[in-house]
Amino acid sequence: MRSAARNTPDHGTGAGSGDAVTEEPDIAGPDLADRDAGEHPESPGEQTVAFRPIRDDEDMIEDAPVRPGEECEGEPADADGEQDPADAAAAEAAQDAQSLEDDPEGAEDAEHTDDADGMEDIERAEDGEDEPDGDRVRSFPMPEPVSAALTEALNQLRTAVKGLHFGLDVPGSEEARKAQASVLAQLDDYVIPRVHMSTAPALIVVAGSTGAGKSTIVNSLAGGKVSATGVRRPTTATPVIVCHPDDHEWYARGDLLGGLRRLDEPTRDAPPGSVVLTSSPSLPRGLALLDTPDIDSVVEEHHEIAHRMLDAADLWVFVTTASRYADAPSWGLLRRAKERGARLVIVLSRVPHRSREVVVKHFGRMLKEYGLGEVECFVINETSVRDGRLPEIEIADLRIWMSALSADDERREAAVKSTLNGVLNSFRTRLPALARHLETQVALRADLRSDVDAAYMGALTRIDEATRDGSLLRGEVLARWQDFAGTGDLMRTLQLRRGAKGHQQGPERVRGLKAALRAGLEALVNSAVQQAAEEVVARWRQRAGAGDRLAATPGLGRPAEEIARRTTRTITAWQDHVTELIRTEGVTKRSVAKLISFDVESLSLIFMIGLLGYGATDAPAGAGAGALPQRLLRGLLGAESLRNISAKARSDLRARVGLLFDEETLRYVDALDSAGIPDEAAATRLYQATYNLEVAR
Amino acid sequence: MTAVSTAETQHGLGSRLAALAKIVELGQGRLDPALVTEAAQLLLRAGDRLKLSSDHTVVALAGGTGSGKSSLFNAVSGLELSPIGVRRPTTARTHACVWGIDGAGPLLDWLQIQWRHRFARASALDKGESQLHGLILLDLPDHDSIRALTDHEAHRLIQVADLIVWVLDPQKYADASVHRRYVTELNGHDAVTVFVLNQSDRLTPEEQAECVADLEELLRREGVTRPRVVATSATTGKGVDSLKAVLAESVAARRAAYQRLEADLDRLVLRLVKDVPELLRVESTVDGARRAGLVEALCDAIGVSALGEALENVYAVRSAEWVGWPYARWAARLRPDPLKSLRLGAVKDDIRGLVASSVTAQPAEVDNAVQTLADGLTAGMPEVWRDGVREAARSRVDELPEALSGELSEVAPPLDRVPVWWWLLKIWQYLLVLMFVASLAWAGAILAYGVFKAGRPPAEVLGDVAVLPWVGLMMISVLGLGLFSAMSSRNFVVLAAGKERDRLEHDMRRRVGVLAQDMVVQPLERELNRYNEFFGAMAAARR
Repeated sequence: MRSAARNTPDHGTGAGSGDAVTEEPDIAGPDLADRDAGEHPESPGEQTVAFRPIRDDEDMIEDAPVRPGEECEGEPADADGEQDPADAAAAEAAQDAQSLEDDPEGAEDAEHTDDADGMEDIERAEDGEDEPDGDRVRSFPMPEPVSAALTEALNQLRTAVKGLHFGLDVPGSEEARKAQASVLAQLDDYVIPRVHMSTAPALIVVAGSTGAGKSTIVNSLAGGKVSATGVRRPTTATPVIVCHPDDHEWYARGDLLGGLRRLDEPTRDAPPGSVVLTSSPSLPRGLALLDTPDIDSVVEEHHEIAHRMLDAADLWVFVTTASRYADAPSWGLLRRAKERGARLVIVLSRVPHRSREVVVKHFGRMLKEYGLGEVECFVINETSVRDGRLPEIEIADLRIWMSALSADDERREAAVKSTLNGVLNSFRTRLPALARHLETQVALRADLRSDVDAAYMGALTRIDEATRDGSLLRGEVLARWQDFAGTGDLMRTLQLRRGAKGHQQGPERVRGLKAALRAGLEALVNSAVQQAAEEVVARWRQRAGAGDRLAATPGLGRPAEEIARRTTRTITAWQDHVTELIRTEGVTKRSVAKLISFDVESLSLIFMIGLLGYGATDAPAGAGAGALPQRLLRGLLGAESLRNISAKARSDLRARVGLLFDEETLRYVDALDSAGIPDEAAATRLYQATYNLEVAR
Repeated sequence: MTAVSTAETQHGLGSRLAALAKIVELGQGRLDPALVTEAAQLLLRAGDRLKLSSDHTVVALAGGTGSGKSSLFNAVSGLELSPIGVRRPTTARTHACVWGIDGAGPLLDWLQIQWRHRFARASALDKGESQLHGLILLDLPDHDSIRALTDHEAHRLIQVADLIVWVLDPQKYADASVHRRYVTELNGHDAVTVFVLNQSDRLTPEEQAECVADLEELLRREGVTRPRVVATSATTGKGVDSLKAVLAESVAARRAAYQRLEADLDRLVLRLVKDVPELLRVESTVDGARRAGLVEALCDAIGVSALGEALENVYAVRSAEWVGWPYARWAARLRPDPLKSLRLGAVKDDIRGLVASSVTAQPAEVDNAVQTLADGLTAGMPEVWRDGVREAARSRVDELPEALSGELSEVAPPLDRVPVWWWLLKIWQYLLVLMFVASLAWAGAILAYGVFKAGRPPAEVLGDVAVLPWVGLMMISVLGLGLFSAMSSRNFVVLAAGKERDRLEHDMRRRVGVLAQDMVVQPLERELNRYNEFFGAMAAARR
């Protein structure tokens, strides 16, 4: 959207003041500065439309009268996909009304700008029709009507790609991140601007190994020292664009390679993300050369820059030498060209006279085997380089090829189109690959999450089992229970109604049993938690990549520090809850209540022992069946009531322990989250965007 | 002197390699598997190389395609042995030239140099090259062409050669394929690496100086502290003699093989150390306090003290049935039993059965006890080793509760046990009851015969009224005696139960201690020893 707006011709200024037309060739720069200097405040939205096109004067004059008509037609076009500028324009209009009082001239200016802003689509279409004659190479041919759908699809794609987030460090995520960056850069640097501008000056990238003589060839073609050459490897660190002086402004404007800062001359410590822009009259119009850093030297940043440049170019000139043509990185580059469907030209440089024939033949055969036999190939002999340039005779072929390309618009357009198409085609495989990787991440995360759940579910099951199979009634619990029952305290908790009020003849034994039971349960829970923690880590270790790394997070292999305290709290709370249950729900059978009173505390304890120690709560009803506590309780409370309370107490214990486990689980979820959460819908969005792009093409 | 230092180097290297072998053995599963594999490979390679001729030095000419390795090979050997050409890549198989063939055969076999690519300088003395005697010069295929992607011969030989000569040229000297893949990777190999800037005839002297300076700077940045750079030209022969001199020096010292292995070892150990960051020596035995802690925790898992208390209490209660005053018991029976009304069945039998059940250990608590011990011992150890120790401590934890239960049920007397003296006391109490009944009968008889004159008494004493007070006195004293002996024997029961409890607890603790030693402490200590051995090996390998 932004780049589209930036490209809008600023007719308003031209039409508004007559003398502006005569000044047409010098473009926006100074004009923009003037406007900035003026009192008229500019919204950011407006700034992007401040450029004026370079065009022949009569073109402008012709255009001007037509404008009012266009304006009316322009409005509906606005509706589809151009909402934002329209809004901005409305806001601006209001602002202008204010500034009208202070500065009528500026306001008028701005108003016209608004108009132009709103109708760029129509105008661009119009401009495209205005460009039939080929001899006007100086003018920037305005793009063919770019369907709003394609723009929309590309923007949508851009958003989708930008929104991808590969959080988990699984094998391949680094590559995926790189691929994402490269797709994004290519969209911004090349595809989006190029779609809007069609054949406007073509960019020829010169790429190849370090020491292959890329800069030397660029210098020779430019007829001057525009890029540094030398024996130091790697030589070129900052890419250099060389163009015809007439095209200079266009490149300075920065639609292509918009993200890079323009420098006037190469400096030793140019910041990364910048490009040197110079011009040379020796180059034909409509073509620019881009000298890139190497693809294979020890300075790895260069490779990335080079690849980014390649992604933004319309034609590739691949330079290699007689001693390098079999290098693996070179063939990697050729493969990339093939994959991207880029228009390719190969230069075999530094070929010694003696072996020219053998080498050229051999290289030709290798290319043919690789499926690149059709590619145009230029050979440059090994000669002495003077002043960073080759003798003119060596590059004559190359120069002729360039001139032909410059002169023949159709051919150039075909080349540009073919590269653009190739890039769009390459999206068909590159984007699904990204989406697939994202899906892998999402799946892996789900797997890791389910590992945690499975481990803790297992722990819960173990606790369940231990409280059903009687293994809890061992050790101290058993000893205390024996103590409690064997000393008659059990019987003493039951008091005949007509006897004295229940006397506590051994509260310390009740307390002891209660504490022992709690300790037993705690030990059970703690041991289960410990096992679960270890199991999670063990399971994660088995998952390659991210799981492995996450498992190494300190502290995950064991339960949280405060787990013991929390367990105590949980179990105590459960015991209290059970006592409460017995008190409120354990209504004694009426027939029994007449005879016997009982101590709730002791009874709930007997109940817990019966529930967890003996387990079999579902023993068939009937006097005499089942273990002692159950029989006792059934006798006191009735079978129905006992079953109810048992079910409630058990599910309550489960719930409480489950809650405790949830807190534990949270640690793992946090660890997972801190590693990055892949957005599950992002892959779908990406597929959708890819599909939309295909439809829009 | 050379021989001495060589022997020393060899000795030092030998012990370090032995340490590395130990590390590989103990570190299995504890270290990064890739690293262990690499260490095992190094051990294998070192073993092989040290067995083979130490009189020969394997020098490999390595480099990218088109840098002139073969030309340089021919220039050094003085013969056209390796084919040179303009097609890239030219050399596909490694060529070898040996100065002094005696004993080199097995070494060449090990290097897997094909027979037809082996050449020997017939007489080491010709051309005055005696100082190169013992040199095996290899002309490697390139490592950076598209062919090298599938053929790893160059890579293999670069890993095993004693001395590596990197053949670079002005075009390619800064290629990532050399620097990233090898120079940085073989960091610390200064002593066994030489850099040659070939094709220097293509440069003017100034350019050459700039080039060499740039290369040296680049190498220093990559961690080569003292780069040895020789500028040569295979075509003009310039610099070849200096290269020969460098080679001769290495060959004469006969130490390149050791230096290479040492450098490899240094590098590997450095990475090992990085993998195992904080290696602290730990106590290899479990100290007394921890051992006592474990026994205590295991006793808790069995409930030893609770068992003791139960023993004491239950005995005290149960003894009432045996040694108590019978009259009190009979009186208690007359009281109504609430349980009867509930129709619960034989509750008493249940309780008796419950009390009779034997000692068992709580598995979860046993688990936690062992866990606590392992955690306490391994504080500060690297995570993988902690896991190992934990694993070792728990190796038999599944059997432990069973073992404990089995062992202790032998010791612990069932709570329903009845000692003989309880029987005796019971008999005594019933005797007293009999006596009371007898006296009662006597008193009745006196009353009947003596007081109410019911008839003729069968015996004199049965009718003598004067005896009556004495009989009454006897009845009271029999009752009193019963009460007194019940009370005192109750005290005895409590006393005996206390003693029994002490004995029981002591015995149990002792047995738990033995079991803990066998099933927990021993495997754990074995693992700690392993760890310490590993620690020692790491220290030894570090030099």
